[in-house]
This record gives sequence, structure tokens and C-alpha cells, in this order.
Amino acid sequence: MGDLGINLPGLITQIISFVILFVILSKVLYKPLVAMLDQRAEKITAGLEAAERAKEEAAKSEESIQEQLQEARTEGQKLVTQARETADRFREEEMAKVKEELEAERVRAESNIQRERDAAIEELRKEFAGLAITAAEKVVKTSLDEEGHRALIDGVLNDEGSRNN
Amino acid sequence: MSKILGSPRSLAILIICLGVVAASVLGGALGSAFGLGFFASSLPAIQLPAEKVTDGFDTPVGKWDVMNTMITTWLAMLVLILISLRIRSKLNDVPGRLQSLFEVAMEFFLSLCEQIAGKEKARKFFPLVFTIFIFIIVANWMGILPGFGTVGRIAGPEEIAHHHDAHGYHDPALEDSSHGSKESKPKAHGAHGDDHGSHLDSVKLHVFQDYEGIPIAALSPGSLQEELTFAEYEEKHGDIGAGKRAGHLVPFLRSANTDLNMSLAIALVAMIMVHFWGFSILGFLGHAGKFISFKSGPIGFFVGILELISEFGRVISFTFRLFGNIFAGEVLLMAMAFLLPFIGILPFLGLELFVGLIQAFVFSMLTLVFAAMASVSHDDGDHH
Repeated sequence: MGDLGINLPGLITQIISFVILFVILSKVLYKPLVAMLDQRAEKITAGLEAAERAKEEAAKSEESIQEQLQEARTEGQKLVTQARETADRFREEEMAKVKEELEAERVRAESNIQRERDAAIEELRKEFAGLAITAAEKVVKTSLDEEGHRALIDGVLNDEGSRNN
Repeated sequence: MSKILGSPRSLAILIICLGVVAASVLGGALGSAFGLGFFASSLPAIQLPAEKVTDGFDTPVGKWDVMNTMITTWLAMLVLILISLRIRSKLNDVPGRLQSLFEVAMEFFLSLCEQIAGKEKARKFFPLVFTIFIFIIVANWMGILPGFGTVGRIAGPEEIAHHHDAHGYHDPALEDSSHGSKESKPKAHGAHGDDHGSHLDSVKLHVFQDYEGIPIAALSPGSLQEELTFAEYEEKHGDIGAGKRAGHLVPFLRSANTDLNMSLAIALVAMIMVHFWGFSILGFLGHAGKFISFKSGPIGFFVGILELISEFGRVISFTFRLFGNIFAGEVLLMAMAFLLPFIGILPFLGLELFVGLIQAFVFSMLTLVFAAMASVSHDDGDHH
């Protein structure tokens, strides 16, 4: 044993050295580091789970948002259709009213015009008769009396008026 | 190739490399056969036991010396403890570089432990397995640093003679200075010549530079050109020239596992822990029953005894596997430095790094496997 270099004091020294190293490393290095590794593994697992959950939640909310959006869109569509219908109806009503009014206006205007024309014709006839008499008086001078002429001219004008009408 | 030779810079590098190779081949031990060998040194004394650094203290179990391998052991411990203190002081969930390195290594060993021993036992076995691994790897890699095995004190002829069991030997050079009587020397030589005889006479002594009495020497290319045997030393009456000392180099540092005490210590701790776990997991009878069993007749008893013997075989194989690999590596490096100075050692440094890693891994893995085997009851295995 001596030739190989094995001696008891040396062996005991090395055993003690190694055991001291073992104990110190276990306390100082392995315990905190392994605990940290475990803790980290836990943390990562928890983080992954949380991420998974968040993803699911996001998908869910996305779905609900999509749904709401769809709802809003249909609602809007409905409102627009409704509004358009109302507007159409309103326009038609207004149009009919305006048309009616216009018609009434036209009828009134026509009757007015008619009346005006009749009046004007009457006026003209009267005027014309006067003028004609005066003119005839001047031409004939007293060859005829005024009453005989008037009767004559009236007769002529009446014939003319009925032909015109 | 022509591209490389074309650039002046790479050409210069090539020439320098060739020059170093030529100098190494001619200057080394090969060249000294042809009268060159300007870098050659004689192979330093290689001995199996670790060298003593101190003079020895008496203890109840024998004389306790500080060996050079012990110093290396303590240095490796110091390095590991300092590293772990540093990691601990900067322990962070977002790891730094050093912490990352250890986390990777520890994760690797933890998962190995879990694969081999199962999840619950892995936590139990891991600290020892990992300590064995990092201690052996740090000690092995330390051992190939420069300065290990090459710087030390000079052991004089008297001390060397003492190692060769010639206890009455007196160094003629020391007698010269202490007594100053030239007449007594031949007498002393005659008186002790019969005791040690030709055995000691053929032992070689190396001649070192004497740095003004400081007993420190270093091996370097060309530092050990001269050597002489004890017989020649006696003839010269210890007078080998001014400024020179004869003796052997006793390195201050030597790779820890080139000492059987160290590898045996780790092996013993490992096997003791393995059986401690065996007893604590299986109970006293459960574990002891594997080795001394009367249940399965004389054959079972005999198998149990064989198991017991193989447990001791494991300690021995642990010890000598590690010691043999690392010691052989040291001798190989020394021999290559001797044969081809500067370049011969380069590939073998890589090899020694690899061997140091593999031995550390093998030792820790075997410990783990033995622990896993010891913590499983034999009865389970038989009935499956």
C-alpha cells in the first residue's frame, strides 16, 4: 500500500475534504439553484396556462364582438330601409298634394281667365258699339236717328258674337 | 495552396511553424541522439505516491504530511466554493452567464438522475453525483495547467536515499560543509556502500540550477540536461560544480487524482453513500438480504457472497480507473514534452481535456447507476 502511495492520514484528509466540499456545495449551490429551477418551471407552466386561458378568452370575446357587430349591422339596415320607406311615402303624399293643389290652381286660373275674357269681350262689345255709333253718326250725320242705328248695330254684333262663341 | 503561399503573411506564419517544428524535433530527445538536443531534458523522476511538501506531523493514525495532491484538492475546492458563492450572491430568475452554465449542467444531470433512478430518488442522488462530476472535472483540468508538476522544491540526495530504504546515507556535499574533513568521506562511503550497494548507486540524480540557496526549481526545456547516478555523485564527493544542486524535483502542485488517496476517498464516499441509501430506502434487512440470504438455498447464499465481493470490486475499479487514466495522462504529457518540446504536447493536451471530462462523467454516472441498483430490492426484480 505504501508503494502505491495510499496512507491512512492522507486518505482520511481527502475523505474529509471531499465531504466538506459535498456539504458546502449542497448547501450553497444545489439547494438554491434547484429550488430556483423548480420555481421557474412552475412559473413557466403557470404562464403557459394563463396564456392559453387568455387566448381562449380573446377568442370568445372576438366571437361576441362579431355577433354584436352583425346585430348592429342588421339593425342599421332595418332602420335605413324603414327611413327610406317613410321618405318614399312622405314624398308620394306630398307629390299628390302638390299635384292636387296645382290642379285646383289651374282650374281656378282657367275659370278666372274665362271670366276675364268674357268680361273683356263684353266691354269690348260695348265700346265697339259706342265707337261704331259715333263713327256712323259722323258718317251719316243725322240721316238716321240714334235709336234706329243702335238697334241695327246691336243686331249685327249679336250675330257676330254668337258666331264667335 | 498556392493562394496561401502567395500571401506574405501566411507564408511567414508557415515558415515560423515549420521552424518551431524543426527546432522541436532537433532540440528534443530525438535530436539529442544526433548530438543536438539543445532543448532536451532528461525525463523527470516519476513516482506513484504523491510527494510530500511538509515534513510531517505525528497523528494517532500515522505521520500526516501535506501532499502536493492535497494542495491541488484544496485549490479545486476553493475554486468551486468561490464559484458557487458568486452564483449564489447573484442568483436571479434571469440567469447570468455563470449561472446559466451551472443551470444547464445541473438540468442535464437532474434529468439523467430522473431517467435512471426515477423522479423521487433523483433529488436524493443528485447532489453527490453532481459534486463528484464537478470536483473531478475541475481537479483534472487544473492538473494540466502550466506549473503543475513542473515547479517545486529540490529533494536532496539524502531524502532520495531515504525513499529507497537506505536510511543511513549521508550527503557528501553536506558533510563537506558541516565537518570540513575530507578524510572522513571515503570512510563514510565505505561504511555505507555495503548497506545500499548497487541498488542505490544506479539511481539517477538531476542537476538543477541553484538560485542562491533558494530550494526552488522549475522544469523547462533544457533545464535538465545533466544527470548523474549516485555512484558518480559519490565519486565527485558531492562536488558537481558551482551554482548547481543535485536531487529530484518535488513539485508543489500535482493533479489531485494522480494520488490514489484522492480517488479512493471519492470511491469510498460514493460507495458508502450508495449503501446508506440502500439501507434507508429498503430498510436494513431489505438491503442486507441482498448479500447474506438464506432464503434461496446454498446457491442463493453463494450469489449473495459474490455480490458482497463485487461491491468491494467496485470500490477498487472506481479508484484505479480514475487514478490510472489521470496518472497515465500526466506521464504521457511529460513524455511528449521530453520527446518533442513545445509541439508534441499540443494534441495530447486536447486528449487530456477529453479524458478528464470522460472520467468525471463515468465516475458520476457509475455512482448514479450503483445507487439506483442499490435502492431497488432484489425480490422485486426476481418476481417480475
